[in-house]
Amino acid sequence: MPSALKLAEEYGDALQVIFVECQGATRDQYEAFAWKQKWMGLGNTMWTEERPFPTVGNGLPETALVGVDGQILMQGHPGNFGKKLEEAIAAEIKKAKEAPSGTPAPLKKVWSSFAKGELAEALAECDKLGTEDAKAARDEFVARTTRRIARAKWLLDNGFVGEAEKHLEKLGKDVKGAAELETLVTAEVTRLNDPALAAERDAAKAVSTFFGQVAKKKPFDAPNVQKAESLAEKHTGTKSAERASRFAALSKVR
Amino acid sequence: MKNTMKARLLASLAVLACAASSASAGVGDTPEYKFRKPPVNALGVTSLADLRGKPVLVDFWGTR
Repeated sequence: MPSALKLAEEYGDALQVIFVECQGATRDQYEAFAWKQKWMGLGNTMWTEERPFPTVGNGLPETALVGVDGQILMQGHPGNFGKKLEEAIAAEIKKAKEAPSGTPAPLKKVWSSFAKGELAEALAECDKLGTEDAKAARDEFVARTTRRIARAKWLLDNGFVGEAEKHLEKLGKDVKGAAELETLVTAEVTRLNDPALAAERDAAKAVSTFFGQVAKKKPFDAPNVQKAESLAEKHTGTKSAERASRFAALSKVR
Repeated sequence: MKNTMKARLLASLAVLACAASSASAGVGDTPEYKFRKPPVNALGVTSLADLRGKPVLVDFWGTR
């Protein structure tokens, strides 16, 4: 756990860390535990009790690295990896900006355009090449971008307004000129700027700032819990108020 | 009643199928997994496929 947290902090957005609780704790229990340990809010981390694939060792902790193409590259006790884990992560982060291995030469430049956020150019080049490989690459670019748009939609639906704004800003730049996807992004930007979202926006800002302030201090100290309760009351009816309320409830989990 | 039982049976089969497919995962494999319940802080991520294009560190841990 500590080494994975260190890596999460070190690599930030470039690395996704998934913490999988394997000892039968409930979601409330492990989430409260993580807050108490001041682990919440560190890097790009998510928490679940579902194993996305089986463990291979006899005990915990166990770490697995999944590469940019979805393949498991390493799995075992983190103490056995030494520097190799960090080296593999760095190599994958680099790979994220390159074409997948085995990509035919004419398509390598296209992947590079895609990685740089030049989607329209990448799609146009795929259409120009017209090969089966180019068609597959085009499908992959569209699928990945569509998933990012779906994520923006989810963020808006769930009141993560700040995150949605950041996400859409980058998406907007990336899809410029790619008409079919640009339309979808524009629809989400319109939702983002809708005055009806004002209450959610204010709530998101206040609650997100609060979480940022308490995550590394003593999150569940009485004044913090009171503050969370008062934020929940002030912004009642918003998704962020629900989150503040949940935080207060988690402080009571033993 | 019959429909409820059928739905339960189908749900159980789906879980078994999922467990069977992931049971073969290991180094070199490309596991597919859709979370039944979105992870905490997932921010819209619902499956491993959503994370393609970015390295993912999976840390199996315990609270005890």
